[in-house]
Amino acid sequence: MKKMSKIAVAGLAALAILVLPACKTNRKKIDPVVTPPVQETTAPEVAAPPVSTDTEVQEPDDFVRETTPPEDVRPTEIEALNRWAQERGHVRDAYFTYDEATLDGAAQDALQSSATWLKGEGSGYNVLLEGHCDERGTEQYNLALGDRRANTAKDYLVTLGINSGRIRTVSYGEERPFDEGHDDSAWAKNRRAHIVLVQAR
Amino acid sequence: MTIAFLVVTATATAQDITSTMSADQAAQVVRIAVPFPELRPIGAAATAPVNSEEVRQGFFGPLTRDIAYSGIMAIAPVPPSVPVTSELLKSIQAQFHLQLNVWTEGQEYVVEAWLVDQSGAAQLKKRYRAPATALSRTAHMLANEIVKTLNGRPSVFLSQIAYASNRSGNWEIWLMDWDGANQRKITNHGVLSILPSWSPDNERMVYTSFARGTSDMYIISRRGGERTRVNSRLSLNTSATFSPVSNDIAFVGSVSGNPDIYLIKDDSSNVRRLTTTGSIESTPEWSPTGRQISFTSGRSGTPQIYVMDAEGTNVRRISHDGTWNDDATWAPDGERVAYTSRVNGRFQIRIANLITGESRIVAGEGSNEQPTWSPDGQWIAFQSNRNGRWQVYRMRTDGRDLLQLTFEGENKGPDWSKKPE
Repeated sequence: MKKMSKIAVAGLAALAILVLPACKTNRKKIDPVVTPPVQETTAPEVAAPPVSTDTEVQEPDDFVRETTPPEDVRPTEIEALNRWAQERGHVRDAYFTYDEATLDGAAQDALQSSATWLKGEGSGYNVLLEGHCDERGTEQYNLALGDRRANTAKDYLVTLGINSGRIRTVSYGEERPFDEGHDDSAWAKNRRAHIVLVQAR
Repeated sequence: MTIAFLVVTATATAQDITSTMSADQAAQVVRIAVPFPELRPIGAAATAPVNSEEVRQGFFGPLTRDIAYSGIMAIAPVPPSVPVTSELLKSIQAQFHLQLNVWTEGQEYVVEAWLVDQSGAAQLKKRYRAPATALSRTAHMLANEIVKTLNGRPSVFLSQIAYASNRSGNWEIWLMDWDGANQRKITNHGVLSILPSWSPDNERMVYTSFARGTSDMYIISRRGGERTRVNSRLSLNTSATFSPVSNDIAFVGSVSGNPDIYLIKDDSSNVRRLTTTGSIESTPEWSPTGRQISFTSGRSGTPQIYVMDAEGTNVRRISHDGTWNDDATWAPDGERVAYTSRVNGRFQIRIANLITGESRIVAGEGSNEQPTWSPDGQWIAFQSNRNGRWQVYRMRTDGRDLLQLTFEGENKGPDWSKKPE
């Protein structure tokens, strides 16, 4: 099993390298995928926050603020798990273009690798999909647009074999940007369907 | 910041306050002499010392600003230390003299006001008792009575503006007076609470909160306290707005990522879907009669403003300029709609006349969004990031008399109360 999953990961990494250069915003997300597989297999299932040498991953403080784990979980553990899964590239967010809710190749690729992990090592977790928008829209329409983005990502995960009962959605519109900046780079990061792992009940 | 602002403006004398007026308006205005109050009862000595600075900031400042912004009155400057007589009123071309006496009795202020015409006859006599914290409310009540006396219609001075603010660390629903005074927090969810909208009787607000982790509609009294969740059993539950004529609430609900306009009773019953396209619909707003609903739809490829009958029929597009239009809101006359319109990469407030089809931009710096009309249709409050962060501003519908109302944290999504009193 482990051998197969390594092959799958390596294959996805290769695919990601082929596909992703077209999407500038996703480059930072490639790095965790191509870290040596040995690191992945030795990591504990629910790890203490790993000391990352990758300077390009998001600031931990940002990430803690953005996630809203439900009340029935132990927050420190699930937050560490989410950080770890994102850093390792086990789950990868889907990014969108301006005023769009359709999945381009890079977004599909991110969700495919996420689905692979969620069906395997991550099968014990449920998913909260958060729809986010950049600030260059209006607050009220963006809440609706974020709802569509989250559900577009959910529908794709379901077609990839994830049980729809495992996935909930929420739209934050432009209310909770990942990057507070006001330039193309910040806006690109803020248009996403963000995967949050939650404990299955 | 707020305190500094209040000090600066409140120490201005009545003569300093001017409101820009068109020539037409200037010809119609009533000139009124408003000297600083005598700090004692009429014809008597003061019973206790009166804090004149508290009277100036809490009462005289708000009162003279209301008069200056009324649109029907202008303040006639009075020379200092000169008794106001009929002859003086004539010489400064003032039709009225507002005689004010303010003193304290125990913990309360007593405010007595006489509006006297050139013949010496009192057209209005009012007496108020209020603690120091309610002096500005007293000023608004008196200014409102003066407007009603002169104009026969109530002013906007007692209206309230609801908005969302993050100054407490989380986005909560706040209220303020029409001049930005008395800013107070109404909700205490400790999460993301946004988009307040007034009930037609000015008693309740409906808003969106993420208190349960997903977005839901809640109703709360303007006095705060218990909140009630309106359960649509749908997703999203944003942009909720009370019907002006029934207990219906229009809102954006979503099933499987298809946001549409829905109605629901305020007791969570009778959910009805009004739009049925596969495109994104958002931001419903009732016409003043409750017969029509405006909304935003992406059905043409970009967000545009549409109007439909309240049953969901007879849909027509009303925005034709700009690649992103949203936040439509009806003027009290039902003929004009203000909305947010993307122009040259920035959002601006656009006012469209539904009868003539004409529209114009009320130009301003930065991005300007989420307009809301004052109950008399003379003013628009909106959010702008012209100074870097989102703040709530107020201006006349033609852009004059711009005033920043919020200063702490970020503030957005204003909604002006529907009734003037």
